[in-house]
Amino acid sequence: MSAKSKLNQVKAFFRKPHNIILVVLLVVLGYLTLVPLFTIVFDTISVHSSEVRFVKKPAGSLTLYHWTKMFASGVTSQKTFYEPFINTMVVAFLSCVLAILIGGFFAWTVTRTNIRAKAFISTVFVFPYIMPAWTLAMAWLNFFRNSRIGGAPGLFTVFTGIETPNWFAYGLFPIVVVQGLHYAPFAYILIGGILRNMDANLEEAAMLLHANRWQIMQKVTIPIVRPALLSTFLLVFSSTMSAFAVPAFLGSPVRFQVLTTQMFRTLNGMNPGYGYIMALVMIVIGVGILMLNQWITGRRKSYTTITGKSSNISLFNLRKARTPLTVLLVGILLMIAILPLVSFAIESFIMAPGDYSLSNFTTEFWIGLGRADIANSEPGILRNPSIWLGLTNSLKLSVIISLIAGTVGMLSGYAIAKRRGSKLSTWVNNLTFFPYLMPSMAFGAIFLSMFAVRRGFIPALYGSFWLLVIVGSVKYLPFASRSGINAMLQLSGEIEEAGTIMGVPWLKRMTHIIFPIQKTTFISGYLLPFISCMRELSLFILLVSPSTRILTTLLFQYNEKGWNQYANAINLMIVVIVVGFNLLINKLTGASIDKGIGNN
Amino acid sequence: MPRIELTHITKKFGKFVAVDDLNMVIDDRSFVTLLGPSGCGKTTTLRMIAGLETPTEGIITINDKVVFSSEDGIDVPPDKRDVGFLFQNYALWPHMTVYKNIAFGLENLKWPKDKIKERVEELLSMLKISEFSHRYPSELSGGQQQRVAIARTLATGPKVLFMDEPLSNLDAKLRMEMRSELKRLHRETDSTFVYVTHDQLEAMTLSSMVCLMKNGYMQQYAPPLEVYRKPANTFTADFVGSPNINLVDGTVRSTSPLVLQLSEQVSLCFSSNSPIAVTEGQAITLGLRPEHIGLADDAQAMAQAEIVSSLPSGMETIIALDMDGKRLHSVVFGDLDFEVGKQVGLSFAHGLFNLFDKESGNNLGQGKLSKA
Repeated sequence: MSAKSKLNQVKAFFRKPHNIILVVLLVVLGYLTLVPLFTIVFDTISVHSSEVRFVKKPAGSLTLYHWTKMFASGVTSQKTFYEPFINTMVVAFLSCVLAILIGGFFAWTVTRTNIRAKAFISTVFVFPYIMPAWTLAMAWLNFFRNSRIGGAPGLFTVFTGIETPNWFAYGLFPIVVVQGLHYAPFAYILIGGILRNMDANLEEAAMLLHANRWQIMQKVTIPIVRPALLSTFLLVFSSTMSAFAVPAFLGSPVRFQVLTTQMFRTLNGMNPGYGYIMALVMIVIGVGILMLNQWITGRRKSYTTITGKSSNISLFNLRKARTPLTVLLVGILLMIAILPLVSFAIESFIMAPGDYSLSNFTTEFWIGLGRADIANSEPGILRNPSIWLGLTNSLKLSVIISLIAGTVGMLSGYAIAKRRGSKLSTWVNNLTFFPYLMPSMAFGAIFLSMFAVRRGFIPALYGSFWLLVIVGSVKYLPFASRSGINAMLQLSGEIEEAGTIMGVPWLKRMTHIIFPIQKTTFISGYLLPFISCMRELSLFILLVSPSTRILTTLLFQYNEKGWNQYANAINLMIVVIVVGFNLLINKLTGASIDKGIGNN
Repeated sequence: MPRIELTHITKKFGKFVAVDDLNMVIDDRSFVTLLGPSGCGKTTTLRMIAGLETPTEGIITINDKVVFSSEDGIDVPPDKRDVGFLFQNYALWPHMTVYKNIAFGLENLKWPKDKIKERVEELLSMLKISEFSHRYPSELSGGQQQRVAIARTLATGPKVLFMDEPLSNLDAKLRMEMRSELKRLHRETDSTFVYVTHDQLEAMTLSSMVCLMKNGYMQQYAPPLEVYRKPANTFTADFVGSPNINLVDGTVRSTSPLVLQLSEQVSLCFSSNSPIAVTEGQAITLGLRPEHIGLADDAQAMAQAEIVSSLPSGMETIIALDMDGKRLHSVVFGDLDFEVGKQVGLSFAHGLFNLFDKESGNNLGQGKLSKA
């Protein structure tokens, strides 16, 4: 082939918009996800300025100090790494099992039995997942905290007089319960999706061959949903493993450490080198899990994708159990989705914690001007300038990130689907998904280390709002690109080509043909980053400065200071914004968060 | 006028060669079908001419204007090629009404509003779908959707129309109806049609030229009846015609006169109208169209066979025969039925027969058969 025709091929290649998108994404994402990976490895073997004193080497020089301390130094390693590591694995595993049991049971009940109030159950059950992860943790503390660890007793103790034991109030048990409940909706959406799409004929065929209900369940239904179950398990596992807020709220009072809380301590403290190693360990596990997941779903795809009309499925008749079970499930839902909010509201109106008598109620923490005797004269949150700053920052950040992530995700989905099967498309696909595997805090940490200084034409970004925007946009790109790819795969290529051949320009094809047809899926791609960002703590906690503080980091600070009422009030605010926004978008466009997750 | 010429067109997907060194000329106002089994490269060829797919190598000219050349780096985008494309799944935009679907292309050409209305109404009545203009595609039946898709494609008045298996999603009755409709449109619109199908009957009935493809290679490019009468090789012989041609293997017993040994007991004399290059003992395949196998009484019979099954359909009857171990199909016209298991005499006195080389499958020549 001559040089000229080579050049022509290159020109022809770049005349296609999807090729341009892929190449740009490859370069930008490569820089934003792969380069940090190298810097983080370098960070584990270099001396940071805060470590000079005990490493006894100049800052910036190379050392294996962190690695040996971390893995092969007896009690130190035991305390800093092995114990938190085992705690993390135990928490992640148990929360996963719990999430799948609860989510799976609800999914089966809603799709396969004649239970009442199905619409209510499926709407409300998703709430705990939309709400910030620590919502339930805070609610748990509101109810069950005890006076032994310090502070006032919770509602439960006040009303029953029973002092909750430490194991019940703090540490492993509540963390597992809270994370299990938080991720149960995730399992519910994934398993419910499979059950709903599963061809009912498969079960009916077994019934006609004289199998009873139990046999059908055991021999047909469960084997068919098993790959989905495994895949759900792995996805939930990787999420619970990298969760920070819940262990921070429920574990720290009894010094129950997991990798993320340990990472926060070390990165924020004197030993960033330790923190970067932990981040690396979590990334390696995350990638391993993803590869396992791809292997499982890839190998067994043949029957997870079987879909059919299951409109006439014969529902399991609950008979006499129908009403009691409905009441029970609705009761559980109210307890995990509504009651926490009530508790935040109550806590935020109480003057002295632990005293729930009417005279102790006050509006001080909402609209007070600030009193010298409480919380350093901090004004009530509706009059508090730093809270208003946090709120506007949070909203601004979430809107910008959702616009960037949603748009880039849609374009990448379009380009990836268009060139499906090519090497370039596979690379970009993996790159857009890679941030999903990065534990949020580790991701924040590496951006911190990468952009603290000027890099080429990019100025030093530490303390700038745009650093938060970049981190968030990259981190939430996977949600948006998944919806984008799904939307495009459902759309036959001919739909666009019919426009191409009529001379409709690319931009008009996107805005007049492709977007309107797959509107709801694309909008889910915008909604997910918005909601995730609104309630995100661990990703931003290392990166905010006083002028860029957001609601979630404020909440964390108030909680650390023990100003419970402020924390509760802010949490209520976040939950109301997030849930309200989700319902609004859902009403207006039909898009919803569960659509986005369900397509994962 | 739109004459389409493909020169050395090759398309590779990675290592897989979809179309290999294809050369063809599509004359103005012709109706050309690209015919072949699935995966033979016919749709790829069509999409390359339309500009939806980029060839790896070669030159395409439409109307004497080069629209693609790998060497010169020319790749005119589809909308600048003045072509229309009818998709297999119609690709109607589900969020636009029938009217909007048809009008969309004209709006893009910045036609004035009243002109668009006039043109859309003309098309709606031409395709007899005026009453559906405000419906959405999902509210139409398959046949109606098909008509909307055709109207949308015709709206901008393209001089060349590409169709990718447009009838494959319709039921048998509608398909018949749409076939004659397409022939009518071809005449009325005065444009060139290029049509992809795997249905040989569609190709035979509709087109003025058939391009038969297999594994990326063009097998034969000729008018349909010529493909039927004089297939270039055993593949094209077998692909065209229903019931299928009988391909009987044998050897050359002697070259002058040319005698073919088809089985132990059956040998026939093949007298060709032009010289045929064969050698004694060469393995050959004889092509016998079912309608050229007649039943005869013993005096005229060239071979004996047993009736294995008889499938009368009123106008004709298809008989399966066992001729000394070789299975043959014959078509006998008229409302007749035959007794299974009966011995009958066969005659090959009518029609021209094609002789193929067994190894290459290529056509060696045509001739008449007589008793050896």
